[in-house]
Amino acid sequence: MAEKADSSYSTSLEDSPTVNAPMGCPSRKVCDKFLGFFSSWRRNTPPTGRRIFHRDVEQDDFQYASTHCLSSYYSVFVVRLAIMVMLAILIGLLTILTWHFTRSYTKRSLDTLASGLRYELLQRPILRMWNILNSTSEITTAQVKLSEYVIRRYSKPATQAEQVELYEVMRDVTWALFASRKALNAITITYRNGFVQAFHRDYRSNSTFYIYSNLVNYSISGNEPYDVNKLSSHQKWNEQSIHGNLSAIWYREPLDPLTGEKKGKASQIPPDDLINIAGFSQVPDGVASWHVAVSKYTDSPLLSAALPVRDASNKSIVAVVGVTTALSSVGQLMRELVEVHGGHIYLTSQEGYLLATSTNAPLLRNSTTGPKLMMAVDSEDQIIQMGAQWLERVYGNKFPPGHIVHVENAKLGHQQYYIDSFFLNLKRLPIVGVIIIPRRYIMGKVDERAFKTLLILISASVCILVIGCVCILILTNGVSKEMKLRAELISHLDARRRAEASNNYKSQFLANMSHELRTPMAAVIGLLDILISDDCLTNEQYATVTQIRKCSTALLRLLNNILDLSKVESGKLVLEDTEFDLGRELEGLMDMFSVQCINHNVEAVLDLSDDMPKFVRGDSARVVQIFANLISNSIKFTTSGHIVLRGWCEIAFNETTKLPLDQKKARCALKTKLRQQGNHMKKTSKKENKVILWFEVDDTGCGIDPSKWESVFESFEQADPSTTRLHGGTGLGLCIVRTLVHKMGGEIKVVKKNGPGTLMRLYLLLSTTVDGAEQNCQVDFARHNVVTLLALYGSMGRVVMSQWLRKIGLPSLGVSEWNELTQVLQELFYSRRHDSAFEVQCSLNEPLKAEVLNIQDVRDPLFVIVVDIGLLDLSTNIWKEQLNFLDKFSGKATFAWMLNHDTSNAIKMELRRKGHILMVNKPLYKAKMIQILETVIKEQQKKSLNAVRAIAKDDDMHECLEIDSIQFDNASSEDSDMPEMGNSNALNAFLHGEKQKDGGRITCPSQYQTFKGSLVELTDLHSEENNLGREDTCQINLNLPDAKEETAMLMNKKQAPFSTVSESESSKHWEQHSESSCPKGKANSCSSKAVNERKALEGLRILLAEDTPVLQRVAAIMLEKMGATVTAVGDGLQAVDALNCLLNAKEGRRESLEQDGNKGSQTEIQDCLPYDLILMDCQMPKMDGYEATKAIRKSEAGTGFHIPIVALTAHAMSSDEAKCLEVGMDAYLTKPIDYKLMVSTILSLTKRTT
Amino acid sequence: MDGVVQLQRQLVDYTASLFHEGFLDEQFNQLQQLQDENNPDFVVEVVSLFFEDSERLLNELAKALEQQSVDFKRIDAHVHQLKGSSSSIGAQRVQKACIAFRNYCDEQNTEGCLKCLQQVKHEYSLMKTKLETLFKLQRRVLAAGGSIPKPI
Repeated sequence: MAEKADSSYSTSLEDSPTVNAPMGCPSRKVCDKFLGFFSSWRRNTPPTGRRIFHRDVEQDDFQYASTHCLSSYYSVFVVRLAIMVMLAILIGLLTILTWHFTRSYTKRSLDTLASGLRYELLQRPILRMWNILNSTSEITTAQVKLSEYVIRRYSKPATQAEQVELYEVMRDVTWALFASRKALNAITITYRNGFVQAFHRDYRSNSTFYIYSNLVNYSISGNEPYDVNKLSSHQKWNEQSIHGNLSAIWYREPLDPLTGEKKGKASQIPPDDLINIAGFSQVPDGVASWHVAVSKYTDSPLLSAALPVRDASNKSIVAVVGVTTALSSVGQLMRELVEVHGGHIYLTSQEGYLLATSTNAPLLRNSTTGPKLMMAVDSEDQIIQMGAQWLERVYGNKFPPGHIVHVENAKLGHQQYYIDSFFLNLKRLPIVGVIIIPRRYIMGKVDERAFKTLLILISASVCILVIGCVCILILTNGVSKEMKLRAELISHLDARRRAEASNNYKSQFLANMSHELRTPMAAVIGLLDILISDDCLTNEQYATVTQIRKCSTALLRLLNNILDLSKVESGKLVLEDTEFDLGRELEGLMDMFSVQCINHNVEAVLDLSDDMPKFVRGDSARVVQIFANLISNSIKFTTSGHIVLRGWCEIAFNETTKLPLDQKKARCALKTKLRQQGNHMKKTSKKENKVILWFEVDDTGCGIDPSKWESVFESFEQADPSTTRLHGGTGLGLCIVRTLVHKMGGEIKVVKKNGPGTLMRLYLLLSTTVDGAEQNCQVDFARHNVVTLLALYGSMGRVVMSQWLRKIGLPSLGVSEWNELTQVLQELFYSRRHDSAFEVQCSLNEPLKAEVLNIQDVRDPLFVIVVDIGLLDLSTNIWKEQLNFLDKFSGKATFAWMLNHDTSNAIKMELRRKGHILMVNKPLYKAKMIQILETVIKEQQKKSLNAVRAIAKDDDMHECLEIDSIQFDNASSEDSDMPEMGNSNALNAFLHGEKQKDGGRITCPSQYQTFKGSLVELTDLHSEENNLGREDTCQINLNLPDAKEETAMLMNKKQAPFSTVSESESSKHWEQHSESSCPKGKANSCSSKAVNERKALEGLRILLAEDTPVLQRVAAIMLEKMGATVTAVGDGLQAVDALNCLLNAKEGRRESLEQDGNKGSQTEIQDCLPYDLILMDCQMPKMDGYEATKAIRKSEAGTGFHIPIVALTAHAMSSDEAKCLEVGMDAYLTKPIDYKLMVSTILSLTKRTT
Repeated sequence: MDGVVQLQRQLVDYTASLFHEGFLDEQFNQLQQLQDENNPDFVVEVVSLFFEDSERLLNELAKALEQQSVDFKRIDAHVHQLKGSSSSIGAQRVQKACIAFRNYCDEQNTEGCLKCLQQVKHEYSLMKTKLETLFKLQRRVLAAGGSIPKPI
């Protein structure tokens, strides 16, 4: 959730890079701050959603993970941001640089070009102007030179005619000049006498005039008469006309512009119409003068030059020549020039009067006194006006030197213009040229392009930025996704590690707690047993307690399973390495399970090959546990058919046997495994004789799906979970099996089998003892000509057995039902007796018949007929008749009966009565068969020796063997069916306690399993007995029935190996026991339980140190009732004394004590001690319990003895308990004494010491 | 026979009432269970042992408390003994009184101890009469030929 928010937040930021990029560093800082705040906030209040998933994870861890994640996201975010900003900066820089360079270079070159252009533009009109001026000056000079020449020729005109002639010449000369120059506006000559000659072109009317003044007024001079005579001299010297000399009369004569011929009559014109005529005033100092004039005949200003004409002596001025040129051609040129560029050019005088413009705007201003020159600022053209105004505003009158101005960005109106001005310094007529070009026309395109380029660049860079950011986002998104995944992975790994650690803790905890868990469970069960044995329970209570007992047992079983598993998992399981008889263990196991199998209508078969070593070294309990689990598992899922436990052997390192393919493979694995175990292992394995023992557990149950073959071995795994309801179980069994098998260096797997069911194959690596192989020797039965007829109900067992018999060289026959049996019997015996040609009854099938015939070939056979009691019809009384039928053959053959566990005593008695003494319990396996055969053979031998006593002898012998064969599984219910004696039920009840009372024949095997498997079973007497020295127990168990039987039969034959059973206490007990066991049914078992319970402390000698008489009495009675011998003393001192004196006297007592020693539960050391246990009150006069204990422990020191001391105290504080244990006491009981707790405590202590 | 049954019922009721009123507890049942053919008068034997012992202890206590300098340690030991034995026969109320007594002992409170002694004496005599009645009833039942019903 948090990550999501974070990422969405960051992506939202990153999705808007245009917003983000320009913000740059400050925005990042803000982001950082915000993120920091965000994270700190989140750290404080972890999101609830997350907490739900990680509820069991510690808060710190969560915070660690969260900050870890956050920091990674934060770094990703920062990196993203940094990359984006860098990209943005890069692209921005590129854009700006590109734009800048493009623009500036373009601009610079364009500017250069533009300024050149402008210069050029302006230069040309100025040049034109210059030309005009030059030509004007040339003309003027020429005129002056010509005039001088002419006048010199005609100097001192004497006559009027000469004068007129002079004027005529002058007129012609002037005309020639005037005509040569079309641009001239006018040429005037003013003579000293005031006569004026002038030629004038009127551009508007395109006509040329000759203007002259009459000479009337010039009579004062000598020249006047010439004037009058001359017709052509209509000119008037009207120098003063402008200055008010109105006396002269002016004439104008139109001329042909080309030829100069007179076209019309001269007309008199008013002086107003006169053109500008240069007079002497204009050349005061005799040098040329220039000025700009206006005329009413032209629109443009006129440039007029005046030059004096001097006489020959060059002393005086005789005339003034004036030349007037129109400037309109300059304007025309300028117009042409700017037409292309759309600019404006104008020329002004230094004072600012417009001389020429590129526009058509009028240059002159009409005033009352005629047209006048216009200032530039007053121009009617907007642009020129504004430009002039701008210049005036910027520079005023302080123009830079030379009047040169270059302005690039002058804003005129709404447009930008280039303004350049040049100064033309003509003598007496300085001219300023100004050019105004709109910027648009030069830089317009450039600016536009630049703008467009910028636009394109910006948009392109923005695009690139966006794309780049998106790319970065995508890329980093991948990275961040990966990081996210990695973070998740890390957290998962972390969680896994944690889980594994906790799992490990769990296992360790369980392994460590196993004792603590089992002990109370055992106590509960023990106490329940005590309670059940209490004869004061009502039926209802009894039932309830029984139920509790069952549940507790189930719970303990489950607990044991789990504890076993955890023990293995935590590596605390240490396998024992002791020698044990594997075959016997497995036989016992089969015996145990056979009951269950028979109840399930399933056949249990044990099929061990002969080459299996008899004794192997290993942990027998664990081996048995493996098979018990497997078999119970098989039984659970098998409803009909059989369960076979097969076993065969393979020498580990020097085997020659051929192996099936899969076994070979397994072997390979095994070998490598062994190799890995290193040198040490190899050394030991060389020393010892390692064997690989292969086993198969084959059932015909519902089978396991092949896909589950591996997983069934996992914890809590069941092939079909739905079966749990039906069959129960925790799914731990196979897991334990696998771990145990692995622990023993083997492997287990499910193997494909033909037909329904499951086939589990496993091998174990066990070492055999040196003499292991030698024990395999078998009695050679073959030479006895024994023929076996197996009348067994279950086909599998029969087949297995007959195969084995055949293998050892004994012929055998197998039948599965009564009718077949009768037929075969008749066939065998009657046909033999009568004639070998006797027809075998047709109902016999062919192979059987053939076998029968084979057997008939055997010479002098010894028949052994093994009959399953199930073949008899037990539901009705027919079985008696069937027995009678069989009796007929008893002389010829020996019958061995296979009994069920529930075969009634009546049948057994009947069999016994009929002399059928060979009875064994199902299932039939090799060892039992061997015993039967041996018995039969011995009987045969004895029969020949001593026919009279045979029966009794054989009986004994047989019983010995019988018991021997089942001696290990004394906890199994089989024992209750020992066929020898009527009260065996009670005996067994005694032997095995109340387990059978539960009616729990089904639970018994598992109980057996449980108790065998659990190492500490302090409170259970009988399982303790199982754990006693094996030999001892067995022999005791073996002896007890013997003794029992002997007393019962009053035969007093003490043939048992331990004759000391006749010890008084013991035999007394037996009698008591047999008495109490007489009644049948519940009362029977109840009382036998009671006996058993009382016996709980049987034979224990207890020293009771208690000062309070009441308590002393109560405790003594309690203990005595349980069979203990109690010595009561009043205080601690007495207790110590009693102990010491007895210790001193122990040598003397040794003898007598040794007589007691055969009770079996006492070890040598205990035999030497006067008491088995001391019950010590803590508060006593003279010497209290603590002191007494200390003293006792002190005296014990060095002797190796340790008398268990149980504290009795009224203080129920744990500190008291600690104090008790501190001083050396072993246990602690509070007052008032709880009877059952006391028993269990005492038992646990006395057993612990054995 | 009716008489016997009636007596038996009376006995049962009486025993039950003793349990209900808290004079006796489970321990007494245990005691009764210990009684069998080997020790037919076990309960009576133990209880009379208790009476003897208790009376001795009560005397001791009374003597000890009368003295000028009270030996609380000794008193405590006595009371402890009394407590132990009373709890052993299941005389719950005596036991409880003893516990209170011991508390005063620990505080060395003579007044309290005296008060408690009275209390214990009272409870003891009450207990004694109750038990004697019970035994009388039992004897009558036995005399009438009935058996003493086993405690459940």
